[in-house]
Amino acid sequence: MQPYWNAYLFIVLFLVVGILLPVGSLWLVGPLLRPKNPRPEKLTSYESGVEPFGDAHVRYHVRYYLFALLFVVFDVETLFLYPWAVAYGKLGWFGFIEMLIFLVLLAIGLAYAWRKKVLEWN
Amino acid sequence: MSPLWSAQMIAFFLISLFILACAVMMLSFRKVVYMALAVGGVFIGCAALYILLGAEFVGIAQVVVYAGAITILILFAIMLTNHEATEPEEPWTVRKALAAVGCFLLGVTLLFVIRGQAWPQGDPSVDVNQGMSNTLAIGEALFKSYMIPFELVSLLLTVALVGAVILAQQRKGDQ
Repeated sequence: MQPYWNAYLFIVLFLVVGILLPVGSLWLVGPLLRPKNPRPEKLTSYESGVEPFGDAHVRYHVRYYLFALLFVVFDVETLFLYPWAVAYGKLGWFGFIEMLIFLVLLAIGLAYAWRKKVLEWN
Repeated sequence: MSPLWSAQMIAFFLISLFILACAVMMLSFRKVVYMALAVGGVFIGCAALYILLGAEFVGIAQVVVYAGAITILILFAIMLTNHEATEPEEPWTVRKALAAVGCFLLGVTLLFVIRGQAWPQGDPSVDVNQGMSNTLAIGEALFKSYMIPFELVSLLLTVALVGAVILAQQRKGDQ
């Protein structure tokens, strides 16, 4: 049991380093090293090089929500692929057909969304 | 019997503290987007708790579906509404104070009932997975014993997909 938990010790280590790296470079060590010379142009938010306009807190189109929903559905689908892939050697052709039915049913849903022009952007 | 302050115990308390802190932040924030991010923190803490209990697959599922997809869905739902994104501060009233006392008493009662219950305990020397890893055992059970429910899940997901498309199409026709 002990080696099992030691593996998670590395994850905790990565977590600590992952938190300390941005905190250290942006707040602790960074201000000591970098020149501080703010100008109004420098302090504007970066919008891919375009001058920022408007407010970010606007009402978005419902189309974005559909993309989020599509993402959730296929996220759950992906989740079911993991135990299937791990148990694949024991399941054989039967498991393969099962997963095929599962994927085809979801593909029908995606095809429906595609046909209804949900994926199109204009 | 493991010692009281084993590494797992410390990890459990740290993770629980993180979950509770995120939950309290979620309730006390006044900006809806911050609330959604705090919920994401709660989900990630729960995933860590599952992994601590030895259920890695459930933990990863929690990260993938809840912390990943559901939090994004909540954020998109907030972006979709014309919400002011800030809730006004509400003053304390007698009714709220009484409600707080009631909640506290309910919590204490539940704690005592849960602690007083003799929960059935399994034999730790028996491996219910018969030596298989968790994910493998889940895969075997899912694709052999629970085949029909698994296929119904895909049907449910397809229905959700089609329903979302129909709802969005109707909304488009209104404009």
